[in-house]
Amino acid sequence: MRFSRRFPLVPALVLVLAMFAVPVAFVFVEAAFAPEFSLAHFERFFTRSVYLTVYWNTLFVSATVASICLLIGYPMALFIVSQPVRRRPLLLFLVLVPLWMSILVRTYAWMVVLGREGIVNSALQWTGIIDQPLTLMFTTGSVYVAMVQILLPIMVVTCYSAMTEIDPGLVRAARVCGASPFAAFRRVFLPLSLEGALTGWSVIFILSMGFFIVPALVGGRRDVLLGNMIVNQIAQANWGFAAAMAIVLLVSTVVLLAFVRLVAARFLYSPREA
Amino acid sequence: MKNRLLPTVLFALGVLFLFFPILIVAPMSFSGDRFLGFPPKSWGLIWYEAYFSDPVWLAATWRSLRVAAVSALIATLAGTAAVVGLSRFSSRWRAGFTGLMLAPAIVPNVIIALGIFMLALRFGSTDSEVTLIFAHAAVGLPFVVMIVGAAYRQTDPTLEKAARVFGAGPLRAFWTATVPPLVPAIAAAFIFAFFVSFDELVIALFLMGGSETLPVRIWNDLRFEINPTIAAISTFFVIVTALAMGLAEFLRARATRRQGNN
Repeated sequence: MRFSRRFPLVPALVLVLAMFAVPVAFVFVEAAFAPEFSLAHFERFFTRSVYLTVYWNTLFVSATVASICLLIGYPMALFIVSQPVRRRPLLLFLVLVPLWMSILVRTYAWMVVLGREGIVNSALQWTGIIDQPLTLMFTTGSVYVAMVQILLPIMVVTCYSAMTEIDPGLVRAARVCGASPFAAFRRVFLPLSLEGALTGWSVIFILSMGFFIVPALVGGRRDVLLGNMIVNQIAQANWGFAAAMAIVLLVSTVVLLAFVRLVAARFLYSPREA
Repeated sequence: MKNRLLPTVLFALGVLFLFFPILIVAPMSFSGDRFLGFPPKSWGLIWYEAYFSDPVWLAATWRSLRVAAVSALIATLAGTAAVVGLSRFSSRWRAGFTGLMLAPAIVPNVIIALGIFMLALRFGSTDSEVTLIFAHAAVGLPFVVMIVGAAYRQTDPTLEKAARVFGAGPLRAFWTATVPPLVPAIAAAFIFAFFVSFDELVIALFLMGGSETLPVRIWNDLRFEINPTIAAISTFFVIVTALAMGLAEFLRARATRRQGNN
């Protein structure tokens, strides 16, 4: 009886174990046993400057993309929340529609826009602003533009749902007690919405860490991310090294997020309780 | 006045930035030129013809649709059952299992792909649609558990108990009392899981070798040239996706509204 009541969980559990948990565990094994226990792959990764550069670049790009998304996405969410309740779903819908386009297609669009013969160059040449086409594609800038475009809706939605949880009466109370609109926002609304903003930042950071389509298609040689190196190593059948890089990717993401949470809990939330 | 106009303009700019790719790709797809240029010098449907007459593109499309449909079905059935099963565990076990079910959405697909590929090599099950279907089902599962789980938490457990009191067996009580209010959420979850699979590149890329899915075909094509056929395919599927997601969103919204009225 007890088992039969809990049986509905079994198919999903088998699916997750067979197609997720076991494969990921196997990646750990492959990275460290080849065939005997050895950390040679990790040593190679952390001692060659080529790999280290890509590693730092991945962390830097992910943090930057997440921060840019926060800077654009938070005000956009704030704008939606400031609108009458009836109008909000439509505005949110506008932000969400681009999310339905596959990442490949959106990257393709940026290739069309930023290419040598692309729209930006054609327009600039047509208006006579430039004579020679600018190099926009295969630059770090194009990677940021495409990644932010792809991930921004997620930030807006996360911030928005956190903001709708805030009791508008609190901001009104601050105003009644004599706070200026800006002070009411900064002292009441902003601290209450920070956790949602931080969640959005973390989600985008995680997703960026695994990116490889965008850097491969619109980035240059210097914009290679960890995801690209893993894919390249797999293509060359270097399983062990690919697995080691996958582990580094996974562990750094988890550790960094735990660190961000810890710092945030220490500095952001404690004053509220005091 | 100025205070209201500026935020609106900035928000509109943000939305324009988000829509920019589709605003570019859609007109390109109706270009009649042999080469990519913007704005197109002539108009036509040649790239749609190119797509619908190319057996390689069509085979990849059908394969993707097939894999997405079956894997979404598996993910939806397993995920919905799991939501019900999870509610019968103590909170500590429930948190652990839920975490496990949601993990595939957080771990980068590259890592899952590598693990599945290495295991498949060992068992000789690479280049198999069955392996790909189950892999995609696992990646789609978190979204089903999230969407159906949110709806399930809002249902009234006394309904099922009432059905039991009036003599329905456990399965019948579940089917007639618990499932009906969940149907819109289940449908929405299916559509989400479908598109998770339909868009997934990296697992299919490693696993499938010669038999490409649509994203793999696009990827292989994009790496060598910017082919306007992709603009036609993209526009075609953006329209299909918009319709399907609009439907999913409509079903989800109706589900929450209905429960809100109760």
